[in-house]
Amino acid sequence: MGMLVLNRLSQTVLVVLVAALVSFTLIRYVGDPVNNMVGQSATLADRAAMRQQLGLDDPVLVQFARFLNDAAHGDLGISYRYAQQVSALLKERLPATLELSVCAMLIAVLLGVPLGVWTALHRGSVVSQVLLAGSLMGIALPTFVIGIIFILIFSVWLGWLPAFGRGAVVDIGGGWTTGLLTASGIKALILPSLTLGLFQMTLIMRLVRAEMLEVMRTDFIKFARARGLANVIVNYDHALRNTLVPVITIIGLQFGNIFAFSIIVETVFQWPGLGLLVIQAIQFSDVPLLAAYLVLIALCFALINLAVDLLYSAIDPRVRRGGAAGPKTA
Amino acid sequence: MTSLLSVEHLRVEIPTRRGTLLAVDDLSFDVAEGEVLGMVGETGAGKSLTGNAIIGLLDPPARIAAGRIGLRGRRIDDLPAEAMRHLRGKEIGAVFQDPLTSLNPLLTVGRHLTQTILTHLDMSPSQARARALKMLTEVGIPAARERLDSYPHQLSGGMRQRVVLALAFACDPTLVVADEPTTALDVSVQAQVIELLKRMCREHGTAVLLITHDMGVIADTADRIAVMYAGRLVEIGPTRSVLNAASHPYTQGLMASIPSMRRRGVALAQIEGSMPRLDAMPAGCAFHPRCPVKVERCTRERPDLAPAGASDVACWLSSTTATEDQVRHGG
Amino acid sequence: MSEEVAAPRWRDSDLVHDFVHSPVAIVSVAVTLILLVVGAGASFVAPYDVINPAVANVIDARLPPGAEGLAGQHYWLGTDPQGRDMLSAIIFGLRMSLLVGLSSVALAAVVGIALGLVSGYFGGLADAVIMRIADVQLSFPAILIALMIDGITRTLMNRDLHERLAIPVLIFAISASFWVQYARVVRGIVLVERGKEYVLAAKVTGVATPRIIASHLLPNALGPVLVIATINLALAILTESTLSFLGVGVPPTQPSLGSLIRIGNEFLFSGNWWISMIPAAVLVLLSLAVNLVGDWLRDALNPKLSTA
Repeated sequence: MGMLVLNRLSQTVLVVLVAALVSFTLIRYVGDPVNNMVGQSATLADRAAMRQQLGLDDPVLVQFARFLNDAAHGDLGISYRYAQQVSALLKERLPATLELSVCAMLIAVLLGVPLGVWTALHRGSVVSQVLLAGSLMGIALPTFVIGIIFILIFSVWLGWLPAFGRGAVVDIGGGWTTGLLTASGIKALILPSLTLGLFQMTLIMRLVRAEMLEVMRTDFIKFARARGLANVIVNYDHALRNTLVPVITIIGLQFGNIFAFSIIVETVFQWPGLGLLVIQAIQFSDVPLLAAYLVLIALCFALINLAVDLLYSAIDPRVRRGGAAGPKTA
Repeated sequence: MTSLLSVEHLRVEIPTRRGTLLAVDDLSFDVAEGEVLGMVGETGAGKSLTGNAIIGLLDPPARIAAGRIGLRGRRIDDLPAEAMRHLRGKEIGAVFQDPLTSLNPLLTVGRHLTQTILTHLDMSPSQARARALKMLTEVGIPAARERLDSYPHQLSGGMRQRVVLALAFACDPTLVVADEPTTALDVSVQAQVIELLKRMCREHGTAVLLITHDMGVIADTADRIAVMYAGRLVEIGPTRSVLNAASHPYTQGLMASIPSMRRRGVALAQIEGSMPRLDAMPAGCAFHPRCPVKVERCTRERPDLAPAGASDVACWLSSTTATEDQVRHGG
Repeated sequence: MSEEVAAPRWRDSDLVHDFVHSPVAIVSVAVTLILLVVGAGASFVAPYDVINPAVANVIDARLPPGAEGLAGQHYWLGTDPQGRDMLSAIIFGLRMSLLVGLSSVALAAVVGIALGLVSGYFGGLADAVIMRIADVQLSFPAILIALMIDGITRTLMNRDLHERLAIPVLIFAISASFWVQYARVVRGIVLVERGKEYVLAAKVTGVATPRIIASHLLPNALGPVLVIATINLALAILTESTLSFLGVGVPPTQPSLGSLIRIGNEFLFSGNWWISMIPAAVLVLLSLAVNLVGDWLRDALNPKLSTA
């Protein structure tokens, strides 16, 4: 098991380094940083001085090392468009995205798992067929269409919930703002998290169902029945337990998906999070911001993968106590 | 002789897209208290389906189409699911082929045992654990107390099958259906497991329906042998009789094809052809296309089980009625 | 009694049998084909030209479906804020989605299969590197990869250049996330075939191994590749419309279902629901149809599920 973790750790470091390299290349070589900093009337001498000051004449490796060092200390450059520290911008927008993602994930898991179990145990029932057909719609419908339909129904026609923004937020210290403590904040959170969570929910439901059906066909389930164990025990203590072990790791990986799709949802609902920031960065070619975001997501995903691997080894006794089996790769 | 298990005219059908297949056809036999009945036959002869039908775990779409299964006189094939569940594990135990896949990899050995015990027997968790420990010791697992907390993948194949046996006998059943219990094991371990099975039966007074295609195992263990072919019972009788003086041509062919130390230098005998597919059953006796001594009647009429010496045989030529026929008609 | 077994005709194959007996498969394939034909023949099918900005009539802006224009034009599905006919815009948008979708799937398949062949046949360092990259890439969702690639290329080009190259860049960005599955499948098959005895025999008799493997590779790989391609197509279409909706996909001068929906989004509160809802419905229909075809194909070609 140690080997697995070491492997994953080295992969993590590699991915982040590659992302950092791409970022560095972007920042250093796209456009002229000097031009962006000084005005048009600056003299050649001024520009040369600026170049020296920014360390742009040093060898590339040194510059890269300095870049990494700065990044590790939280200095990610200054946004072209906002003229603010990139790190400050990211920090300001992170709570919004995180809150949205966590809510969406909760909805997806708390609804998806029970529905998946139910449709597996009640195969062939009318309700199962309907749910399965509905889940297909959930996969075929792009997230932004779901969002717009929700807005149409709940904001435009019924007027129950807001279509834009985060509502009133409360600062709970450390720069962290939350919308969960105000009525308008909660109302604003409902549609976006539902939109974001719906796709994941259908995915999880289908996954749990498929996995559970597989487990129900195994020999040990047959043997459990042959021993006369109660249906409840066979279905939950045996089947569900074995279903959840691989499913949990896939759900963990889905968190990354949610993070990615939050970009779309934030655009639809004008939610002031990281996603909206990134879209604007792309549209305005705000390189420092874009580059920093690249490194951020590389780090996020790599860490999520690592966490999931650790989680799997913690819950599967075959991996924990030495055996041939290991986690299924996605 | 009191009959513990009675199977009468059992018929198992499998509906498929291309028609209904008859996998077990008019099967009747008894198992007495404490006896070991060995059921042999090739793969696909219907042995496993019979075992599954008895414990009520036929995989859909297979189903019991006709017949009656009785346990100590009480009919069990049409019991409601909940009632059947109470029987399984308590009155009827089961042992399956692959010990690795029979056990849940995420549960400890002890958990398997205590769960089964607590489902059927009225006792406290600590009493159940004590009983689990006793069962493990009985099946010969060393360091049983530590083993209670082991996971299946930490045990060897032979040990796992011992655990499976412990689970089958945990609640003192009167009958155990063992479906190919040694097939997935190493040859060296097979003998140990069979010895263990015999010992458990003797000590608990349990009857066993031992389903296998391994003649060696049967010879050593069974009191009586039932030979299955294409879903039908072709011969059933005491082990000595079936092994040494088989009456049915198929059984004779089976016995002759077993390699023996005594017949060195002689080419291995083979029965020509292969068992018919379920959707291409011949008329009359199912074996007649491959039978070396068939007569015209075999191609038309299906023979019933009739006495022939100490056994019962389904063959127009081997049973005493057939002999009488021949005498009368000078055939 | 021996029976004569005639050589199986493809008409009797399980696949065709499944198809004919599955209403879902028939309907979804039919819908997909219809949409494909309509999109491909956009220039002929669409009543009005929406690409030429000179044709647009701003006076007819935001008319509801079935309305009549100032100059007597008939707008079946209404008009958008620029006065463009929605029906024509949707048809051209459909063409764009299909173009981008099919191209990116084709590109991904070609690259993926090539890399899979290299990986499986040469093994060693090439294999390790390719599979490593594949592993890493799989943990990132397609939309994110496409977004990042698109964003980065945007910053590398000036506005004009980007405008001209937008669609190829988009195709490349979307295909970048798809190649992995093809590579893995093909690599797997090559590894299996390499170990088989006929390859060793061929080596002994001096026949070129690549040719042998290729002749066995194609029939084995066709099924899985087709399934992957179909499911990828649905995802590619959705990804293109999502990127266009976000404003970072197809340039604004070109019609796209995604950008139509984005434009319509701003007018939801004004009651002009058709500007975003009708393109959305077409998009969903296309995506659903392709998804269903892919699902059915996967189940039909799966040997484990056959009920022989």
